[in-house]
Amino acid sequence: MNTTRNQPSARKFWSWFIPIGRQVGGWAFALNRITALGLTLYLFLHLIVLGLLAQGPGAYDKFLVLTENPFIKLGEWLVVVAAILHGLNGIRIVLTSFGVGVVRQRQLFYGFMIVAVFAILIFTARMY
Amino acid sequence: MSQSTFSSSVSAPRPGETTWLWLIKIVTGPLLLIVLLLHFIANHYLGSMSSGLMTYDDVIRYFQNPIIPAIEILFLITVVTHSLIGLRGILLDMNPSRPILKVVTWLLVILGVASIVYGIWLALTIASKGS
Repeated sequence: MNTTRNQPSARKFWSWFIPIGRQVGGWAFALNRITALGLTLYLFLHLIVLGLLAQGPGAYDKFLVLTENPFIKLGEWLVVVAAILHGLNGIRIVLTSFGVGVVRQRQLFYGFMIVAVFAILIFTARMY
Repeated sequence: MSQSTFSSSVSAPRPGETTWLWLIKIVTGPLLLIVLLLHFIANHYLGSMSSGLMTYDDVIRYFQNPIIPAIEILFLITVVTHSLIGLRGILLDMNPSRPILKVVTWLLVILGVASIVYGIWLALTIASKGS
């Protein structure tokens, strides 16, 4: 095992988010990571907001008015898009983790991303 | 040549991530896809048929079917676990020292347990409001 290669460091940490000049695997990794952070942020916001349900009808229904706001709608759109990308890219990661399609990762990635584009288009058409 | 670079990099436990944690993350992934799909179908098609769950009353009525809080709680546990193990994986790439990693791990465990306890309490509270 080569242990000197690919060692993590705080300096390298940020470069993971910028895959420019890297191969498609680097883009797949960055995509997975950025969507992961977005979805995690959303998860905890979602849990906090749903807490309004415990306070009764007034608080929750007043908050839901916000869903008409175009910026909030854009945020919701981003959440679903991130989930589609993370989920489909994740299938590739699971498959290759168990030894399926390891030498066809590039094709798997492109294939899932084509599916993702269609899913995003269908969702966008239904939402707006 | 570039092909081999992508092919050789398969998801594996990071330094500082045990095989168990990694495996839980890998297994909760596909589980989440299934539960998220259930969560979505249930929320958007079983709620009030046309508009989804757009009012407080809708949500309360919807939670009277015991399968709904069950799905939500299963989803909650899976997603919180997956996201926090994943977040820890990202933080591991900053190469924290052992003591710092220990603190990070404990904070994430506390956050995870607190979120799950809170979420279960919330689901049961909502379900009980209808009766």
